[in-house]
Amino acid sequence: MPFVDLKCNEKIPERGKHIYVHDPENSVIPACNVKTIPGDMTERGCAFAGARGVIGGPIADIIAMVHAPVGCAWFTWGTRRHLSDLYPWATPTRLANSAFNRRYCAVTDMQEKDVVFGGMKKLKQSCVEAFRLFPEARGMIIFTTCTTGLIGDDVQGVARQVEKEVGKLVFTAESPGCSGVSQSKGHHDFNTQFYRQVKALRQRRPELKMREEDKTDYDICLIGDYNMDWDLQVIKPLFEKIGVRIVAVFSGNERIENLVKMIDVRLNVVHCQRSAEYIAHMIQDGFNTPFTRVSLYGIEQTAEALRKTAAHFGLEERAEKVIAGEIARVEKAMAFYREKLAGKRIAIYVGGPRVWHWIRLMEELGMEVIAGACTFAHEDDYEKINARSKPGVLVIDSPNEFELEEMLITLKPDLFLAGLKEKYLGRKMGIPTVNSHSYEKGPYAGFAGMVNFARDIYQGIYAPVWRFQDGIPEMPQREGED
Amino acid sequence: MKLTEIPVDGIPYDHLRIEKIPVTPAFAPRDPELLPASSRVLVVNPDRICMPIGAMWAVLGIHRAIPFVQGAQGCTTYARYTFSRIFKEPATIATASFHEDAAVFGGRMNLVEGLRNLVVRYWPEVIGVVTTCSSEIMGDDMTSFIGEARMKLQAEIGPERTEQIAIVPINTPSFAGSHVEGYDRAAKAFVQSLATDRDAPTNRVNIIPGLFYPGDIREIKHILQEMGIESTVLFDISDTLDAPLEPPQSIPYYPPGGTHVAEIKGMANAAATFALQLDAGGSGARYLERKFGVPAVVGPVPVGVVATDTLLQNLGKATGCATSPALRAERGRLVDAMADTFHHTMMKRVAVFGDPDYVSGITRFVCELGMTPVAVSAGTESKNFAAAVETVFSEYQSLFLDPPKVFNGSDLFEFEEYLKTLPRLDLIIGNSKGVDIARELEVPIVRAGFPIYDRFGYQKRPIVGYRGAELFLYEIANAVLDHRYPDDRTQQL
Repeated sequence: MPFVDLKCNEKIPERGKHIYVHDPENSVIPACNVKTIPGDMTERGCAFAGARGVIGGPIADIIAMVHAPVGCAWFTWGTRRHLSDLYPWATPTRLANSAFNRRYCAVTDMQEKDVVFGGMKKLKQSCVEAFRLFPEARGMIIFTTCTTGLIGDDVQGVARQVEKEVGKLVFTAESPGCSGVSQSKGHHDFNTQFYRQVKALRQRRPELKMREEDKTDYDICLIGDYNMDWDLQVIKPLFEKIGVRIVAVFSGNERIENLVKMIDVRLNVVHCQRSAEYIAHMIQDGFNTPFTRVSLYGIEQTAEALRKTAAHFGLEERAEKVIAGEIARVEKAMAFYREKLAGKRIAIYVGGPRVWHWIRLMEELGMEVIAGACTFAHEDDYEKINARSKPGVLVIDSPNEFELEEMLITLKPDLFLAGLKEKYLGRKMGIPTVNSHSYEKGPYAGFAGMVNFARDIYQGIYAPVWRFQDGIPEMPQREGED
Repeated sequence: MKLTEIPVDGIPYDHLRIEKIPVTPAFAPRDPELLPASSRVLVVNPDRICMPIGAMWAVLGIHRAIPFVQGAQGCTTYARYTFSRIFKEPATIATASFHEDAAVFGGRMNLVEGLRNLVVRYWPEVIGVVTTCSSEIMGDDMTSFIGEARMKLQAEIGPERTEQIAIVPINTPSFAGSHVEGYDRAAKAFVQSLATDRDAPTNRVNIIPGLFYPGDIREIKHILQEMGIESTVLFDISDTLDAPLEPPQSIPYYPPGGTHVAEIKGMANAAATFALQLDAGGSGARYLERKFGVPAVVGPVPVGVVATDTLLQNLGKATGCATSPALRAERGRLVDAMADTFHHTMMKRVAVFGDPDYVSGITRFVCELGMTPVAVSAGTESKNFAAAVETVFSEYQSLFLDPPKVFNGSDLFEFEEYLKTLPRLDLIIGNSKGVDIARELEVPIVRAGFPIYDRFGYQKRPIVGYRGAELFLYEIANAVLDHRYPDDRTQQL
């Protein structure tokens, strides 16, 4: 059987069905998207993180109202690097230092008495006050958390009241932290609830739809890109150059009114196929708008994405020109990194899709992916991982810290692509790491971003610091007191 | 991006400069009626976090200890993420992984199974069980759950090994207080659970540092060593959250250092307990005083000359130990540095914000430098803070240009809007959440307090003690020079 029992899991054998060594002759899908075993030292986040942190947070011009005690709001205030270009004024002559979606953190600050008596009154007043304080906001999304989910506040009712009173768009994203197995539940919740609310809104206020005369035959929506470290600055021009128009991005640096129009496009291009493919399916089912899956990481995959999109609109020739031009722009840098990175062995641990997005990218650089682990992947992610993996790759579903440690110590990869929490762990073991969630110094997407990515990988592996990790050479050691 | 070729060292940041789009065509002042936090229910830009993260901070300062968070995964993951951002270190924290079923049936199974799974793989010496909003709302009975978990463990690993693991529950519903109180509750919970006998009184002292950084704790230890005082530091994060890179690492990863259980057990035998931060740890000190008659010395926060003098005097009184020549020289160097710099610090208008104890300590120090505090803000409401800054202000009011404005338990939004109304401000001192404010007001910021995540090294540089104050002073003075002074006027300082 391809499933493996790690040494650290001797006492929790249930973990065995989450871990396997890929064998193309005997391909398996691990147990995935299931409950986490309590106390196993999981790396997962909560459903609220998926809704507020990942999808809701990047929207540029709304107030993200967190209906909770302060902690949940504080943790999602300006942390994930989903950047935006829309800035509030700091003074009469100067714009703020951070974009609107990261500059302010709005929270109902639930106190004990609110928990006892219910928080709806407080929520309503907070929403009205927030619109008074930030009249520049074009709308609001109210996020619930464990506290307000458990006490059962009727958040949708409050949203309708506020929308009526204030006259601005008010959405709800009810995805309390404890409502699902991982942040993936929050992605799903947000997709479903947002789609439903947008659909209802378009019926209620048809003027918010895109006017017929504004539509073009080349309108697309880019779904599942969150503008990490300004990925969109390298991605968007590529699509524009091949001749399509991006009407909306779900949800990186996007305006809420554009998101209401995402249903009016001709094609949905789905980048993150875990957190946002749901909405593409719903739009396809509801409005017959097709979608296509792409990867916008790496030279080949980005080229393929442009080709696929262009083919839909008969723009193949233009796409080829753009691709050739872009490849020429990065060729010199890529040649440098291909030479430096050939043969290096990589372990990847991210949320889900980036594992399979990046396998081919690593191969483009001449590197080999020897292990892949996903926090919240589903069956289809593992199918894609299996399709792209070489035999012998170790795959772990929802790894816990101990498993990652065992993986690092036994496989000794040359580099560990991981999140912030795990990157410091890897370093303690002397293994170079690159922050693969918010990046070290992005953007990493597209052709140009690939050079940044390769550079950060190169810096990780070749940093002189690793030469010094073994202590003072040839020096007798006195035992310490501790 | 108009690069014809992407350079080998990547896209330079100046080619990624974003054209900022104003959210409204022109500036419009914020509704003045809603600026005071007291006139609204909405909180904007809180300067406080949740109670559980304060308790987790504490547990991470214990040797081979793991916090176990009785809540949803985010309660753990966000805290670990925050610790990693601040300390650039891994932080091992376990979660009960609440899902839908826990929300319906309560967290009993999660705790019982969770502690079992944690113990049989990690063999920790201490587990701090940290509750959350959800477990408190559901009314999880932690004492009985832990009892059940212990029974389960006894059956699997035997009573002896089970006995060796200290399990300390800490109740921390976030809707009842901030991270400051979370740390405070942890301090009390640990001494209450573990320091149960005053059977062999010693001349050791207990130090509860509060939310001070590894650099601060090292400085306190240095003072104690110079005075020849033996001590127990509860909770000692100085090694656990500042660990060296020296593989090979055995797994599972435990950082070096931390307070040992045996030391905590001995805390009831100490000559005195010093809580360096009043709101973060004071309860632990007072508990030991009430229960065992161990004198509690709660504050003052040892930042600056006088507060450090007071700490040394109090340490001397408690133990009979004297200062050393080295400490006196350190004090002398600090005073010398103050004499060298006051022309550049005096009458400079400074705003200080952060956790109440940080702000009261720093406020005293800036007054010692002759600066004028124009606004001080504690993100967590605190009576101790109000009293401490009032005392400082009455001592120094003859030096003030204007009476300082005090915000107690306010949010950073009110604070920044107030600063924007001031005719002049020279410096802001506070945590990383003040960077936007400083940039927008074109005022330098000196980073101090919790949390600092956007720069390197602040967790290692002390602000306490004479040496810490001296380093802190240079940062303050140089920030003023960097910002306000033409370079050709700094050739002879």
